[in-house]
Amino acid sequence: MDPRPTRPENGKETSANYWLGGLTLVFFGLAGIFLAGARSPAPVRAEIPLVDPKFLDTTPWRQTYADLVKAKEDLSDYDCYACHDKGKSPPIRFDDKGKIVIPKEHSNIVMGHGSHDRNDLCYNCHNEQNLETLQVRDGRQVKFDNIPLLCGSCHGPTLRDWDIGAHGRTNGFWDRNLGEAQRLSCANCHDPHAPRIPTREPAPGPHTLHETPSATAKPGH
Amino acid sequence: MSALPTPPDRTSDAAMTRRSFLRGTAAFGGLTALAASLAPLRELGDFTSTEEFLQKYYKEMTPSDMAKVIARIEREVQHQYGIRPHVRDLKPMDGVEFVYCLNLTRCIGCRKCVHACVAENNQSRNPEIQYIRVLKMPHGSMDVEKGDHHYDVKQVPEKGFFYMPVQCQQCANPPCVKVCPVNATWQEKDGITVIDYDWCIGCRYCEAACPYFARRFNFAKPEIPKDRLNPDMAYLGNRPRKVGVMEKCHFCIQRTRAGKYPACLEVCPVGARKFGNILDPESEVSHILREKRVFIQLKEELGTSPRFYYYFDK
Repeated sequence: MDPRPTRPENGKETSANYWLGGLTLVFFGLAGIFLAGARSPAPVRAEIPLVDPKFLDTTPWRQTYADLVKAKEDLSDYDCYACHDKGKSPPIRFDDKGKIVIPKEHSNIVMGHGSHDRNDLCYNCHNEQNLETLQVRDGRQVKFDNIPLLCGSCHGPTLRDWDIGAHGRTNGFWDRNLGEAQRLSCANCHDPHAPRIPTREPAPGPHTLHETPSATAKPGH
Repeated sequence: MSALPTPPDRTSDAAMTRRSFLRGTAAFGGLTALAASLAPLRELGDFTSTEEFLQKYYKEMTPSDMAKVIARIEREVQHQYGIRPHVRDLKPMDGVEFVYCLNLTRCIGCRKCVHACVAENNQSRNPEIQYIRVLKMPHGSMDVEKGDHHYDVKQVPEKGFFYMPVQCQQCANPPCVKVCPVNATWQEKDGITVIDYDWCIGCRYCEAACPYFARRFNFAKPEIPKDRLNPDMAYLGNRPRKVGVMEKCHFCIQRTRAGKYPACLEVCPVGARKFGNILDPESEVSHILREKRVFIQLKEELGTSPRFYYYFDK
């Protein structure tokens, strides 16, 4: 009946049993260690703060006259004849260095159009006969909501690029058959009185994968 | 036969009792240890379901197969994030080949594109995965080795530097596609190189092959806050990835194949980014590549022929 032809001697069997018993205990010990490892929390990673939603904002920097009209917002800044007299062009004053003096009523204006004060005369763009319009140097009058024509009278190549969409911002649909594209106008990005894009705060840079909490202050590489 | 009483076999009986007990205990202990050693796998969370495991290759899927896969993904996303997403499988449009142009004269290095991309494409926030690197480059060099993407300053742009955002260049001759051992990444006819995240085995060959540092690997389970999940998803695009797969910029496939501009372009405050169909002679990108005197394919000498062009004004 016994398939095994020989049986080990009693002493050998006992030592084998001790081995088996010992191994069993080792297995149980390992199982315990594995279980403890599996239950332990994931390795701690340095906190990465979520990015400020202001960096995800797609609205343009500035609102133009046309935007204000569309949004039915306060247009009192454009009501020139609330203060000025009609038919009387306001004088432009200069200091003794020949720099234009901005009257205190217009102190929000920073003059910075072109280097070396090349374009510091209000009436290069504003119409002295009718303050509620702008003027191109050839005498054409331009309304506040059609400024690309005015800007393009000097910045020809930029207007050419803007016309085709290579300059400036376009949002919405690239496929005009599927939806509309929103084109932004010159003054949505540029302050006409100081058109250079101002410097600004950059969004946070990348964090490295193996950053430890102590290293978050200064990424090494 | 069973009715016959069997004579008691004392020797075997006694041996059975002791041995079987010891063997049984040892086997039990061994199995417990094995099970316990596998337990950490459960911590991975989304353990591949049988359905996902048996899923077909993207190009071999019938529309009904794809519908089932999309239903599974929507279910899994809802389970994990509590938001019902809208997953689509958008195909390339006819007569469309995408090209990206980036105006280096305009870029101010504000990194808004980086974060708009993360938000749009459901990239992991921690560990951080970002498709776009903005390199701060010293004037007078196009050597990316001189670029610094960790610049941490109060105000940009800084004097003496220009800024060069680098992302997937959607090469016409993509080295990443050639090295993939399982064809989990390929170039579609609109020029976008895509990844099937369910087919990727995570070998990272493509990451090594890419000369633009465009591909990212999910070393850990991606973490996306529920309130920042973008529910408008595409199968080959921004659906949430799992640990152990590659991902990269796909020109916002979920937007661009629906006719919209990519997210990085929409957020750019200076209009440095231009995108469109190069096969349409009236498009912005056609105009730029036709009219601008200088434009650059990054690392042109490698012969990868990127569909991403850097250009300059004036």
